Amino acid sequence: MSQSEQRHARQCVSCGINISGMSAATFDCPDCGTEVSRCAKCRKQSNLYECPDCGFMGP
Amino acid sequence: MTDNDNEAVEVVDDDVAEAEAADTDAETTEAETTEEEVAEAEEAGAEAEEAPAADEADAEEAEEPTFDEDVMPDDEADLLIPVEDYLGAGVHIGTQQKTKDMERFIHRVRDDGLYVLDVSQTDSRIRTAADFLANYNPEQILVTSSRQYGRFPAKKFADAVGARARTGRFIPGTLTNPDYAGYIEPDVVVVTDPIGDAQAVKEAITVGIPVIAMCDSNNQTSNVDLVVPTNNKGRRALSVVYWLLANETLDRRGTDQVYALEDFEAEV
Repeated sequence: MSQSEQRHARQCVSCGINISGMSAATFDCPDCGTEVSRCAKCRKQSNLYECPDCGFMGP
Repeated sequence: MTDNDNEAVEVVDDDVAEAEAADTDAETTEAETTEEEVAEAEEAGAEAEEAPAADEADAEEAEEPTFDEDVMPDDEADLLIPVEDYLGAGVHIGTQQKTKDMERFIHRVRDDGLYVLDVSQTDSRIRTAADFLANYNPEQILVTSSRQYGRFPAKKFADAVGARARTGRFIPGTLTNPDYAGYIEPDVVVVTDPIGDAQAVKEAITVGIPVIAMCDSNNQTSNVDLVVPTNNKGRRALSVVYWLLANETLDRRGTDQVYALEDFEAEV
């Protein structure tokens, strides 16, 4: 995986910020299995996230 | 921690459990009472309007279920179980408070002020949660319930899918303190109520694992990654939701094992 791809994989799907720290969560999309990352702030504020592949809206 | 400490924790736990049980009983009774009152009022209204009608029509209406059927936008949605079963268990009954987070799962508000959850979304989210859980190693799934009525279904769900359950008081450090004897490192947490299971949610955030939560209309979805909108205060509602979630998860794994609803219903 290239450096740019790694950066993309660690970006929050809601706000796009680069993820760091333990409070963020990375999990497979409940609908399609695509990897989804949420930063700590978006999780705490309950910001909606959308799967980039299937469009599943969470939480 | 000494043995005495453990005993003290258990005593406190029992006291809290009793208090919660009393609260839950009161809430459930209140909800059921209000539902019955509305149903009676509707029946009385219907009778008053149709007094001149023929006896046959009255007899037909008497046989109709007393459930309020306006619980989802699409009446012909394909559900896991008949909508009457959802209504009978009270899965759709919310609270008299609502949060902004849960607004999108609420279908309407009843005359008595109770918010009605959209049953089709509950059904859809149970399937989604089952898909989600099926991706994990069963032993790495943690189910928690501090609520009295959620304990038995949560334990049963854990048994059914091979997960681990922590019911009653969630000992702080269970997910974060490696020195604690009961320390575990799950990959996903399922909570019955984000308010009651706040400690489990807090520790899940600390270790960075996703949280699936059964949320009522009065819950905030802060730090929750997948919401299953349902009545999380009723005994039968929790039994139905955990039962469906267990069967769907097993189905996704390709096992033939199927549980009956009675297996998930605790004795009163």
